[in-house]
Amino acid sequence: MTRVPMEGKVLNENERAAAGLREEFARHGVFAVNLIGSPGSGKTALLERTLESYDPSRRVAVLTGDIQTDADAARLQRYGFPVRQITTAGACHLDARMVRRALEGWDLASIDQLFIENVGNQVCPTSYDLGEAHKIVLLSVTEGEEKPLKYPGIFFKSALMAMTKIDLLPYVPFRPELAEANARSIHPDIEIVRLSSTTKVGLDGWLQWIDARAAAGVHA
Amino acid sequence: MHEVGIASGILDAVRTETAVYQSANAHQPARAVKVGVRIGAMAGIDPESLAFCFEALVKGTDLEPLELAIEPGRADELEFAYLELEQP
Repeated sequence: MTRVPMEGKVLNENERAAAGLREEFARHGVFAVNLIGSPGSGKTALLERTLESYDPSRRVAVLTGDIQTDADAARLQRYGFPVRQITTAGACHLDARMVRRALEGWDLASIDQLFIENVGNQVCPTSYDLGEAHKIVLLSVTEGEEKPLKYPGIFFKSALMAMTKIDLLPYVPFRPELAEANARSIHPDIEIVRLSSTTKVGLDGWLQWIDARAAAGVHA
Repeated sequence: MHEVGIASGILDAVRTETAVYQSANAHQPARAVKVGVRIGAMAGIDPESLAFCFEALVKGTDLEPLELAIEPGRADELEFAYLELEQP
């Protein structure tokens, strides 16, 4: 029996593709973020409010991932910015090659900001680097404060946690401070914004975070 | 759910690594018997689910009965550790 050391990441192929994307984003000055959250956590709604708030001259584009249907792309296309749907046909996450394929034909030099809305899932997308500057996790107040402890991976890897649907706080037994403390117990430096895409409360904090990070550069 | 993809990635790497080993050792036949991976608690991988998928994918292939050994890794680590081969 011989034991040989084996090096490298298990998801080596995805890592390579993601490194290629990251290099391309950097070369063209594209600030890309990867939005991750459970189905129904409000990813599409947040992007709707975000695009709605942007000046039409803003050079922003969106990739939205789902297992089936182009319903999300249809929702997001109304705002006049380039939007493409990635249908994974069963896969529970986006990978870097899917993103690469979806970007084909787009002139990255004409895009400053790219939102990638991952498939609704708090677990699987965590493992797949898409070449983004930051992962952002969404946690809606209808999900429970313990989610960061149950699914620590995504909270550990995200720069920002967006607590969504805070307009529902009076109606659900959710303690936002506890949810935040749980997230910080996993990732002490995680930044947090609270918002509602329905009432638009807190939306400014989200928009400012994106602008500040985009201004800080795609390598931030 | 993505553990199938991860398991499949491990098998691909085992095949590659075995071929590399053989060509580096005068093309003596060698078969992989055990692959070690390190998985951190923040990697978003369920070791039990990965072990299940791994077994299912190996079954009925030339790699059977390849064994998967999962060691705890740091943080979000998801990396290979070693490969054990034997000369038939």
